[in-house]
Amino acid sequence: MTGDDLKALLARRSPGQWELYRKSAETREIDASPALERTSWRREEGWAARWWEADAPRFAAASDPESLALALAEAARIAVAAEEPPAWPSKTVALGQASAVDAPPHLFEDLSRAVAAASRGEAVLAGLSLRRGRAEEWIVNAAGLDVAQEQRLLDGVALCVARRPGRAREVRVPLRWETEPEVETLARRLSDAATLPLSDRPAPFSSGQWLLDPAVGAALLGALAPLFLDGKPPRWIVREKLAGPLVAVADDASRDAAFDGEGVATRRMLLVEDGVLVGRLHDLSSARRAGASSTGHGVRPSFRVPPRLGPRRLFFETKSPSPPAALLSAITKGLFASALTAPPRVDLAADRYEIEFTGVSIVGGRAQGPVAGARARGRVSELLRRIAGLSTDLQFFPAPFLVGSPTVYVERASFE
Amino acid sequence: MNWDDDSIHRWLEPLAGREGDLAEVFGEALTETCLEWRDGELREARVRREHGTSARWRRGQTEQFASVAGSDDAAVREAVRALRASAKREPLPIRSARGTPAGETEIGFPAADRAAKRLSAIFARHAPRHAFTLRLRECERRVVSAGRPPSTSTRRLLSLEGRFTAASRAGDEQRLFAFHAPMSDGALDELKTALAAASAPRDRAVPVPAGEADAILAGGCAAVLFHEVLAHPLEADAGVSPLRALPEARVAVSDLEVVDDARRLDLFGGYERDDEGTAPRLVKLVASGLVGSRLTDRTHAPASGSTGHGRRSGPAEPPLPRSSNVVVSAGATDPEEMLRRLGNGIWIDEFLGGSVEIASGSFRLRFPRARRVRRGRFADELGPGVLAGELLPTLEAIEPALGREVHACRSFGWCARAGQVVPVGGAAPDIMIRRLAIRPEL
Repeated sequence: MTGDDLKALLARRSPGQWELYRKSAETREIDASPALERTSWRREEGWAARWWEADAPRFAAASDPESLALALAEAARIAVAAEEPPAWPSKTVALGQASAVDAPPHLFEDLSRAVAAASRGEAVLAGLSLRRGRAEEWIVNAAGLDVAQEQRLLDGVALCVARRPGRAREVRVPLRWETEPEVETLARRLSDAATLPLSDRPAPFSSGQWLLDPAVGAALLGALAPLFLDGKPPRWIVREKLAGPLVAVADDASRDAAFDGEGVATRRMLLVEDGVLVGRLHDLSSARRAGASSTGHGVRPSFRVPPRLGPRRLFFETKSPSPPAALLSAITKGLFASALTAPPRVDLAADRYEIEFTGVSIVGGRAQGPVAGARARGRVSELLRRIAGLSTDLQFFPAPFLVGSPTVYVERASFE
Repeated sequence: MNWDDDSIHRWLEPLAGREGDLAEVFGEALTETCLEWRDGELREARVRREHGTSARWRRGQTEQFASVAGSDDAAVREAVRALRASAKREPLPIRSARGTPAGETEIGFPAADRAAKRLSAIFARHAPRHAFTLRLRECERRVVSAGRPPSTSTRRLLSLEGRFTAASRAGDEQRLFAFHAPMSDGALDELKTALAAASAPRDRAVPVPAGEADAILAGGCAAVLFHEVLAHPLEADAGVSPLRALPEARVAVSDLEVVDDARRLDLFGGYERDDEGTAPRLVKLVASGLVGSRLTDRTHAPASGSTGHGRRSGPAEPPLPRSSNVVVSAGATDPEEMLRRLGNGIWIDEFLGGSVEIASGSFRLRFPRARRVRRGRFADELGPGVLAGELLPTLEAIEPALGREVHACRSFGWCARAGQVVPVGGAAPDIMIRRLAIRPEL
């Protein structure tokens, strides 16, 4: 059975209301630790179909066309509530010539040395997994869409352990590089996240200014992402004054892929401009409900699940960035959040957030000493409006969608 | 999976020429039906059928791993060919695929539509406003390993997660609900009973006070605590933890017996063969209060062999030593006596999730609600909170009064580590622990 056979099968089942997706991927991975070096090669193939039958949506996924045909028949047997189909896009783009996947670089030794140097011997790199790969996607639908695209990645995860007498700390940091691996930057991040919590020193202030490392800022923005999606916005939202006047938020995955998981062209979406909420993201389904058009945010994290509305490359930006040193020197009394010690907790409906972090206390623009652990909590609305500065050092992190942030300056926060 | 085991053995034998070498092929055929309900309507039906194969070769401290889509003869050859190429062995002769005859490996849930109707009726009665996701999963796994007989195992699992609107004496409130069990004739009846109990009216919750409190972990949820503080640190590939330095040391009261038992097929994490083809053994994690043994796979096994805890989330991942079902032995104390002994404290009967940091032994468990206990009697309903502590002080603070009934913890179902999610389960009696740190959740 081939893709054309599946197209014919879907056209018979659901004339005019179907979509077929295929993903084939190849990855090479190196897992290194003091005890093991594992080299992996993976070839993945996945097929998925979404169609409307008896006015109701269905979804089936499989690792080969024959299995997809069986899954289609099984999914069709289950009675599902009716729902209107979306307005399918139509476009044709062929795929260029594919090239081979190289093995990821061997970085364990270099990174081990860099971590040891950055932590003055307190931290040890316990494991590093690096993966390089490529994925081809092909999407066709009943409206004549026939697009293909290729994506490449270099990502992984690093595990670092720091010890002092009677205390230990372990951190796991996910990585993603778009150019050459930056070993020194990663080593500093691992070292800070592992060694600062060992200081045993609590936050010296109960409130003050708050400087967020790009990794912490990105985690915060990732937790706030539902604000920019379809659905009823929380009652506390004031569109004209969502954030501080310097703050902009955009989503632009055009350097990653030409299309989203539904075959809609990728485009830059400005979501917050000068602190004002100006845009929302849509996939085909949410666009139909809102009477809008898709913004190209139908996301497929895997072929196994139907495309869902989600951010793709979400990031803070500003028209007036400041150098990181300028933001640091602006702090009279506050904390620098270097790394999270727990995932951020955000309750958007209740307008509450809680962020646990480790970092450094700052007085008069100068570092005073490490802070093992602190908790910032309060209202999301106030936090966003108190963002008074964004730096030039924009960095992206996997979260699992890409989230980017520069150093973020918050003029006031409460700490525990 | 219609494999030619003799041929696979022939292909693998040259890779396993030295003592301690490991060469194996793993295959999986998985069918998963996923149904999503919103307020009485079945809104989405998804069916997934996946086949995958991987091959692994380990010698000393190096390992080669290859995985491909498909689980037929051609997929096995492709995976082994990749492995032999990386091991610089003579490649297998190329042969066209011998497709698996249709229907030969068919698995699935012909009863998924019937289960959907039954569940719709249960939801309508006990939780008419809801957002639930049900997963019915059938998974057949086969392992052919050099020097060992082939093995096949099949598991059928039911997993329901979501939230519903329930009445409380102060008005409607959102409650989370999870139920994970092996698929059986009685699973839906058990789910119905659990949902009915979860939807019972409650008083208005007040915030959990921050500070230290004595606690009773009831309803089997102590299994989640022991999964975090005992099972994870005793997984053989775990790094240095506070337990690692204390082999056979006393860490808890002598009444405490905690085991990891994958043979308990009535629990969510059970299996007859692990993902390396080894029959699992019961492993004592704490025996009479003393630190017990480690959970091993073939890679980390001592001379006595793997304990049968080599597990993987799927064919694209190599196996890791992982916990399965954490089971705590019963004591002799009835619930009223437990409350009386607690005096003042909190009573928790469900955890939403937990985590442990192996190196320091610090853990966190999130609970959706609790009850305050005053002078041995139930008092206020408490809201969501976080219970935190350190591994060794927490084990030391367990009281010898253990409940006399062991409850399966059906809200506990999936465990993620190193990016791999596997089914886990547990059962425990009521446990009392002194001086735990608690604080309110957002």
